[in-house]
Amino acid sequence: MKINILFFAGIREMFGFKEKNIKIEESINSPEKLVKFLIEKEQGSWIKLLSSKDLIRVAINQEISEWSSPLKDGDELAFFPPITGG
Amino acid sequence: MAIFIQKELFNIEKIISNLRADKSSIGAVVSFVGYVREFDKKIAIKKLKQMDIEHYPGMTEKALMKIELRAKTRWNLEDVFIIHRIGKLLPSEPIVAVIVASQHRKNAFQACEFIIDYLKTDAPFWKKEISNKDAIWVENKIEDCQKKTSWNIEND
Repeated sequence: MKINILFFAGIREMFGFKEKNIKIEESINSPEKLVKFLIEKEQGSWIKLLSSKDLIRVAINQEISEWSSPLKDGDELAFFPPITGG
Repeated sequence: MAIFIQKELFNIEKIISNLRADKSSIGAVVSFVGYVREFDKKIAIKKLKQMDIEHYPGMTEKALMKIELRAKTRWNLEDVFIIHRIGKLLPSEPIVAVIVASQHRKNAFQACEFIIDYLKTDAPFWKKEISNKDAIWVENKIEDCQKKTSWNIEND
């Protein structure tokens, strides 16, 4: 299945890019499983992302979600730090 | 009802005057405006040069619409206007404005505070402070989360 991953603010700077399109197996069906898969494949910033899991917010299709929330084909997945607007 | 996310400066007097036009039922308008601070009281030697604001296009609008709807469901309001700037902001410039119109002041006062409290924790904006010393992403405040939750404890 295809997933579009977006990064914002400090997370975007850490990765050095703001977007990544990937094709993964159906069994990789949560943000946590996806990040673990990418740690094995690419290492790099994915390791840091998972190690700061408790501080990082996850959104699926622009709704705040959990690291264990279900992912499906065509989803937009975003990682970002806590919100600081206003 | 309107939501604007923009790079440009805004004029609050103009917004209020447009909002009141042809709406004689409005008896109260409460507005909150947040500005860029040049100095942080805690670190007086640190002088802010610029503030960069990033957001999540699409999700931001959805989140603000949800907040506006919650406020409209809870209080009897005539109109709500939310405006938030993005991009590069300079010290003393306005960042955000929440303008609420109602027939009587109590609804407008409460709804305005409610909207800004929710905006601070639910609308995906991020601030980066560029000072004479460094460039750092602003960290979220526990008080902001507590302020948001207090609306449920005290009023629901």
